Amino acid sequence: MIGKESTAGRAAKFTFLGLWLVFTVFPLYWITITSLKAPGDIFAFPIAYWPENFSLENYSGLFGKADFGVYLTNSLIIATVAGAVATVISMLSAYVLARFEFRTKSALLMAALVTQMIPTFIALGPLYLLMTDLKMVDNRLGLILVYIAVCIPFCTVMLRGFFENIPDALEEAAMIDGLSRFGALFRVLLPVMRPGIVAAFIFNFVNCWNELFLSVTLMNSDSNKTVPTALNGFISSFNIDWGSMSAAAVLTILPTMLLFAFASRHIVQGLTAGAVKG
Amino acid sequence: MRRRTAALALGTAATMVLTGCSSMSGSGADGTVTLNMVESLTNPARTDLLKGLIADFEKQNPKIDVNLVSPPTEQADQKIQQMLQSGSGVDTLEVRDTTVGPWSNNGWIYDMKTDLKSWKGWEAMTENAVKASEDADGKTYFVPYGFYGLSVFYRKDLIEEAGFSKPPATWDELLEQASAIHDPGKRKYGYAFRGGANAQGNATAVIEAYVADEIDTADGFKLKNGKTIFSAPEALDAMQTYLKLFKDASPKSSVSWGYPEMVEGFSNGSTAFLLQDPEVIATVSESKSIKKDQWSTAPLVAGPSGKTVQPLATAGWGVADGSKHKAEAVKLVEFLSEGEASTSFTKKNSLVPILKSAAEDPFYKTGPWSSYVTMTENPDTYLNVSQPRGVAWWTEWQQKADADIQKMVLGKTTPKALLAGWDTYWTEKRQQEN
Amino acid sequence: MSTASEATDPTNPTDPTGPKKAAKDTKATTATKTGAAGNGGAPPVRKVQQGRRKPEFTARRGFLIAVFMAPAAIFVAVFTYYPMIAGSQMAFRHWNLSDLTDTSWVGLQNFHDVFADPAWGTVLGNTGIWVIGSIVPQLVIGFALALWLRRRFPFRGLYQALVFFPWAISGFLIGILFRWMFNSEFGVVNDLLQKAGLINEPVAWLADPDTAMFAVLVANVWYGVTFFTIMILAALQSIPEELYEASALDGAGKVRTLFQITIPYIRVTLALTVLLRIIWIFNFPDLIFGMTGGGPNNETHIVTTWMIKITQQGDYGRASALGLVIVAGLLLFAVFFLLATREKREVRS
Repeated sequence: MIGKESTAGRAAKFTFLGLWLVFTVFPLYWITITSLKAPGDIFAFPIAYWPENFSLENYSGLFGKADFGVYLTNSLIIATVAGAVATVISMLSAYVLARFEFRTKSALLMAALVTQMIPTFIALGPLYLLMTDLKMVDNRLGLILVYIAVCIPFCTVMLRGFFENIPDALEEAAMIDGLSRFGALFRVLLPVMRPGIVAAFIFNFVNCWNELFLSVTLMNSDSNKTVPTALNGFISSFNIDWGSMSAAAVLTILPTMLLFAFASRHIVQGLTAGAVKG
Repeated sequence: MRRRTAALALGTAATMVLTGCSSMSGSGADGTVTLNMVESLTNPARTDLLKGLIADFEKQNPKIDVNLVSPPTEQADQKIQQMLQSGSGVDTLEVRDTTVGPWSNNGWIYDMKTDLKSWKGWEAMTENAVKASEDADGKTYFVPYGFYGLSVFYRKDLIEEAGFSKPPATWDELLEQASAIHDPGKRKYGYAFRGGANAQGNATAVIEAYVADEIDTADGFKLKNGKTIFSAPEALDAMQTYLKLFKDASPKSSVSWGYPEMVEGFSNGSTAFLLQDPEVIATVSESKSIKKDQWSTAPLVAGPSGKTVQPLATAGWGVADGSKHKAEAVKLVEFLSEGEASTSFTKKNSLVPILKSAAEDPFYKTGPWSSYVTMTENPDTYLNVSQPRGVAWWTEWQQKADADIQKMVLGKTTPKALLAGWDTYWTEKRQQEN
Repeated sequence: MSTASEATDPTNPTDPTGPKKAAKDTKATTATKTGAAGNGGAPPVRKVQQGRRKPEFTARRGFLIAVFMAPAAIFVAVFTYYPMIAGSQMAFRHWNLSDLTDTSWVGLQNFHDVFADPAWGTVLGNTGIWVIGSIVPQLVIGFALALWLRRRFPFRGLYQALVFFPWAISGFLIGILFRWMFNSEFGVVNDLLQKAGLINEPVAWLADPDTAMFAVLVANVWYGVTFFTIMILAALQSIPEELYEASALDGAGKVRTLFQITIPYIRVTLALTVLLRIIWIFNFPDLIFGMTGGGPNNETHIVTTWMIKITQQGDYGRASALGLVIVAGLLLFAVFFLLATREKREVRS
């Protein structure tokens, strides 16, 4: 243990932590308060930091005129399925990249890094044509397939870190017991890797949940829209509906925020396992 | 236990995914046709309205299903272009005067001329509407659903408080009244300036008002003597007044205000004047911040000559060239362009109507609508001028002009330099064209 | 952080050395202690294993690699690389949506147009400000938070849960959120500053190019600190406590410990997190688009928002050319960055 912190140091530390907490949480507080004001009060002056009348009008409007429930369900299904499938596929590729040496390995890793550099916009047009040919436009499965592809590179390199930190001996022992490599992967390694898998899934889920441009491009029907598309729709050609938008924003943030809050320990723990390497 | 729950959840999700992908366009086994209809000026209220009209259409045509596609406005054009480029997925779609040029040029939209030859709907339409349905080559790529034109939205209570008895009739009066009301410290602003997207629309409206006596009615950017309107000395007066309106009477942030922000500025009660399309009437009527007796509209403000130019814009419904069900798609266009459907669309979406019957409709004679009637009834004061909105370089022009206006209000260029630049731009483009 | 550190491997796939080499011995002897904290005890074992493993090129092995790699490779090839390559041919053609009747081959004309654009200088400068102005505060604050969160204190778990959430929000939504707060007429930022007596009249934050850039950076710092905190925190937890004890015995001060133990130990992770973040921030038009749309007067555009603007004008040829320039630029940067880190590593070992 390093020497005890001085009182001044402690004070400085907690002051900073406190200020950062306020800075981080305030925008969330503000959007929530805005969403709970009656639509007419949002532009009242002076600005109210605690509304006199709380109103759920903005929320009821969302579920009334726009099918926000449908959008939430779509996003939930798409992000969950795409996130989970991408995690499983990435585990396979990550395993190979962690356990074997082969000539194309560095090329594959570079290819994964390059995917992070491609601006989405360059690929939108051809992707739309491709999906049209596959009859996958305006189709949840289609969007899921694309999202899986979006998640895989990052997820693979992330999971590879975890595999590298699990001793070979573990699965070798399992294979001596007669399990195949595939069996070994799932029976023996999975339980050990749980925090890492949770962290990887959460990253995937959040990415898919928040994605806008691909979703706008590939989804047509109202019944297939995802939350970010709907949110974007509130900046309509008529006016910026700050009330509905704040309410929609709160509903959009909540699921991922709760997920992050509950899993923050997992994430750090999971990543710790992966980060130990030079 | 956890594993089983997870498996169950995944299974359920997968089932929902697979059952959820049945909205493809095409013909069903029983001969039912599914049409995809795409709108571009999307907003939630209008989407609801369209859904209602579509339901009526489907009731009348039990063999046709319509799937309405409503992309967010900001991404709409890009998305529609992608759909059109792919050659499938669109049957009926919203076509605007600014998009009809490039889209027809690319062969993406269908000339409905022959299909609509025997259509009875034409007789009920106003002359303007019939005219707008044909392009320069006499082809019908869309049937207009209504017109957009500018009028002045103003706050009755605020101008009274400032000591004025009636709304402004000229740009100078507008500047005077707006400056008198403007008081940033109290969050009260005079004028909802358009500095952001499509800033050029309002800027050219001022210029046209100032050169109204000399303007070429066939081409709103030309004078009768063939030069551009930007070269006229009056144009400089116009721009200077307009710049003053920004400096003395507009909120600072309006440098970047586009359509939504301007409308928001007026309907949240902070800004006294707004120059906008009639469709804003519907939005402002729903405002929770200002009551019905606090605002009204006045005809578009005039230049020094007392005349002004009404820049009419339009949009309508058309059919995609790639559609496999053109007959049904045209049928939908017809349905939306006549009778009850059209009346209800123009009223609820507040547009200048396309049907003659509106002239007798009391709805348009009262309240905020009366100024539009005034303008229509006095074509000598409110000149009807065609804008060159169909030219191939229109988008490029918009982007350039918008950027120039922002430069001007930020003090990075002068009205004089701006106008000289615009004059050169249009003169050169026109020369290249010939 | 694992992803970033993994990403280095292209240039250095098997190099088992690193800053940790020096610490390896200490680590191996204390593996049991640190191992208790999680899987942290594994590396020493791996290092031994790696030396022993021999490349065995058998058909079975090749088959296994192919089968395991196939799903990922197919997905990425079909849905990411194919559209990108198909899209990039537009960069060499006249491809303007306002007139698609002529899509002839124009060679490098589009690239020329990108660089000849008078706004290009501003856009490039803004991109620099955007990347550096975001990454430096994110790194510094993220590092500080990670150092402090490493030690237990009451309600640490709750604190983490609360300050980590910005990462879960989409860039576009953050743009909206901060646009609302920085609204000059009804924004809470102006109101608070006025109440504090710092300003006399409302500032039109998003109307002036300089303040708009500042506002956008504030939003991005708010968003991005979390990622650094998480990654650095994870890396810090891998530093064996013994190193700190030894350092304390030497009588090293806090600052010295930071620069002689902590930073060198996690240097690679740190550098690679920075690299990945630079790529991401560069490729992150969402926030700026939601907040300023690149305005006013196009002065908050970065390269990627500029590209979106060009697509909106319909010039897909030029936009694709710009897209290729972006990929090439980032690739070049990444290679240099990775080479630089590797060289230093070799010097160390």
